[in-house]
Amino acid sequence: MPSEETKERIVKVIEIGRTVLHYGWIPLIIYVGFTRSNPQPSLIKLISPLA
Amino acid sequence: MATTSIPPLPVKDTLIDPSPSLRYSYFTPISPLFNAYDRFSLWRADLGLPQPGTVENLQKEVKSTHLTNFAFDGARADLTKSLSMSPLFQVTHSFALGSQTAPSSYNFGAIFGSTQVFLQGGVDHDGNVSGRFNYGWTPSTVTKLQAQLSSQPGHNMIQLEHDYQGQDYSINGKAMNPSPTDGTGIYVGSYLQSITKNIALGVETIFQRPTPDVSEISSSYLAKITSSDKSWIATAQTQGLGILQTTYWQKLSDKVEVAADLQLIAMPNRREAITTIGAKYDLRLATFRAQFDTTGKVAALLEQRFTPTFAFLISGEIDHFKNQAKIGLGVMIESSSLTPEEMGMPPQP
Repeated sequence: MPSEETKERIVKVIEIGRTVLHYGWIPLIIYVGFTRSNPQPSLIKLISPLA
Repeated sequence: MATTSIPPLPVKDTLIDPSPSLRYSYFTPISPLFNAYDRFSLWRADLGLPQPGTVENLQKEVKSTHLTNFAFDGARADLTKSLSMSPLFQVTHSFALGSQTAPSSYNFGAIFGSTQVFLQGGVDHDGNVSGRFNYGWTPSTVTKLQAQLSSQPGHNMIQLEHDYQGQDYSINGKAMNPSPTDGTGIYVGSYLQSITKNIALGVETIFQRPTPDVSEISSSYLAKITSSDKSWIATAQTQGLGILQTTYWQKLSDKVEVAADLQLIAMPNRREAITTIGAKYDLRLATFRAQFDTTGKVAALLEQRFTPTFAFLISGEIDHFKNQAKIGLGVMIESSSLTPEEMGMPPQP
């Protein structure tokens, strides 16, 4: 069994990873989609529901 | 140079031994095992058993015929924008309001898909994020990751999943909220194997460990019968504690599918059975689903496409025993920044 200190560190790392995923997941998809799309769309079309 | 190179094996020898490279290798002592395995897999391939599909998709046909997963109430609008076709990239804005059961909501979703990678994400007006990530190592081996992230503690969920589909079997392993420090979480393993050309049998085992000192294991058994021309499928699944679910699905014609679902619960303090019967009509510009069940609910859903980019939905449900009714209206608008040629469609006249 890992020691208490290691456990605390693992929990902290998971918590940070969760926060990063929470705020970074949608921007990551948009970034990946935006850069790999063919043809590349314009930014206004990406965000606005009406354009 | 020519004197040092190894002379090629005589044709006769290579014909006898299917794996000549193993003959003088370190594997020689265990080569009988390899030979037995090769012979076993050859014999198995000779049986010509079909791929049974995955355990998760056991009732896929029934679920797509019934409207339980599609019904809604209140008003709803989905604006989908396709920004690229290959790789697939689209964003969706969904609005829902006036529902009796759920509060009004706004949801933004994004999907990116290529041949190997699939990314999906959604965020609602409260800041709850849901995400999905699939990575296909080969066409039959897929690793999936699913997460629900919320700013409130206790509402987070993460699920790791690995899926392998063999020639006549499929294996799936899942871990929900696994904790690396104390080993808590829910772990599910499943295996489905074709035993004849029409019948597949499987088992699913769930291991639950909500706290480090409580653990529980339960198994469920599955069976699936597919007709030779795949026009009907019957499935049965037991779930621990005396629940049996059986389904039957039949394709009557190109446009009509019918499905029935019977759920039997025989627990010591609760005995009941629910049957749902439904039909789905796929017309040229519309999809109509109708169903009724033994709890007194009659429901229908019409999805009418006026143009390829604009669809109108009406969903209705009447609960005769409780004297309740629900109605839902929705629009789905798909817009695209692409020309029809870029989307791979023939040019419109």
